[in-house]
Amino acid sequence: MNRRAGHIIAALLSLYALIALVIPLVVAMLWSLVNPQDGWFAPDLVPPSYSTSFWSDVFATPGIPAALLRSVGIAIVVTALTVTLALPTAWALARIPFRAKRAVEVFILAPLIVPGIIVAVSLTEVFIRLGLFGSLLGVILVQTVGTLPLMIRILTASLEGFPVELVWAARTLGASPGAAMRRIVIPMTAPGVVAGGLLSFISSFEEFEKTFMIGAPAVETIATKLWSYLGGDIIIFPTASVVTFILLVPTVIIFAIAQALVRDEDLAAGMGKV
Amino acid sequence: MTRPLRQRLVLLALLAPGVGYLLVFFGVPLARVVLASVSSADSWLPQFGHYAEVLTTPVYREGLLFSLWLALAPTLVAVVIGVPLAALLVRSYPGKAFFGALYKIPLVVPSIVAAFVVLILLDRGGLAHRWAALVGISLPRVVRDPAGIGIILASAWKNVPFMALIVAGSMAAISEDLHRAARTLGAGTLTIFVRIQLPLALPGITAASLLVFITGLGAFAIPNLLGPPYPLPLSVHMYDQGYRRGNWPLVYAMGTMLSVAAIAILLAYHALTRRTQHSLTAGRDA
Repeated sequence: MNRRAGHIIAALLSLYALIALVIPLVVAMLWSLVNPQDGWFAPDLVPPSYSTSFWSDVFATPGIPAALLRSVGIAIVVTALTVTLALPTAWALARIPFRAKRAVEVFILAPLIVPGIIVAVSLTEVFIRLGLFGSLLGVILVQTVGTLPLMIRILTASLEGFPVELVWAARTLGASPGAAMRRIVIPMTAPGVVAGGLLSFISSFEEFEKTFMIGAPAVETIATKLWSYLGGDIIIFPTASVVTFILLVPTVIIFAIAQALVRDEDLAAGMGKV
Repeated sequence: MTRPLRQRLVLLALLAPGVGYLLVFFGVPLARVVLASVSSADSWLPQFGHYAEVLTTPVYREGLLFSLWLALAPTLVAVVIGVPLAALLVRSYPGKAFFGALYKIPLVVPSIVAAFVVLILLDRGGLAHRWAALVGISLPRVVRDPAGIGIILASAWKNVPFMALIVAGSMAAISEDLHRAARTLGAGTLTIFVRIQLPLALPGITAASLLVFITGLGAFAIPNLLGPPYPLPLSVHMYDQGYRRGNWPLVYAMGTMLSVAAIAILLAYHALTRRTQHSLTAGRDA
């Protein structure tokens, strides 16, 4: 491929990144730095003056640090629950041939395809009866319906490539089953598990619809907080911008790490690609 | 005789945590919704009154049509932008690793943030309006507009990278020999895109389109923030009628309609991928 074509492609992709990512982020950043004394009104293209007061205000708002902590806590529990439930099932799907496998795969894909609002609606009545509606546990359980298929599919995709001959070789050479597990199976499958775990964490951290329907208004996460700033009668752009960054920064960093550990095709599998 | 039985038990024990969880918290509740949507206190027979209500009440009928529009339009946008984007991404160019990671960011950005981006840029008084005003153009209203342009743009923002991810996967799998052969025969970049990359990536494009369509059909947050007061898509009606008014049987009927659409698409999608896998292996054998 010649160099000129390469540069044209890089230029086109830069243009796309500029429109889709850079401009929105810069504008959101400018909104978060607006000086409340002066505001930012049309036709000004940049705010007349800057201040960090919305940032300090948001962190001083009693609900926000608590919502952030709650989001992180929920994401940790959801991820732990998801990994525990997904590992054995993914192992079976990746390594054991059985007759109904295709049906099981379709069933596991279904929660990724059925809209979140329907998952939430279908659990509402049962959760009210069990006292789980509007509770932290209820939110954790409903979010896991979304993260579990993602995790099972990413793990299955990465375990399918696992060379089981290595385990046989180790066993032939006298390794105990425990040693084979510790020295071969765990180190070789760890990247898939870690990547799946990170993606589950993000998908819980940024989840809105199911959390909102099952948890609101009692269980506030950072995502439902952002909703309350956007869905209210008066939209407060500077506050919403700050909350957007609180939501985005950890998500983007964790996603970057996960991307380094997972192949594109496994990521696509986790998001519903067959 | 005992060994196969033991193996079967091991298999069941391994499948139980994942599949069992999804049965309890997804499969059974969804089946209950479908049953509750057709049951009534007076009769043992299935009753379709709530479905008739959705289809004959203008507010809901228009809502259903609006939902279909909000599923179809972002899918078209995602194809038109995402497929050429994928064709660019699989070529070789300076900064490939960087762009390859960058374009995927919207995949993990919550849709409320996508809606917020549309608000700050494209709502009246938003930055795009201010820029356009500089050159004397007045932009049309795209937020809370009856055609749902703002909703379509926000969904497309999330779905273009999704389309590109899946289609780039299909395009990357195309053998380099084919490209070389085409170039030797005098094909330019555009001819290669139209005659080789597009047809071979078609299963990927179809798969991604079905997934984007179904996401749009059930989306709640973006239409609620950026949509017009009328018509409202079925998802927003479901929320209002259910959580605000407690009219659950009607909500279950709407939920069933959307789920049936989702599951039909899921099965079509599976049948499709199965057929292409078949034809691929058949091609390899031949």
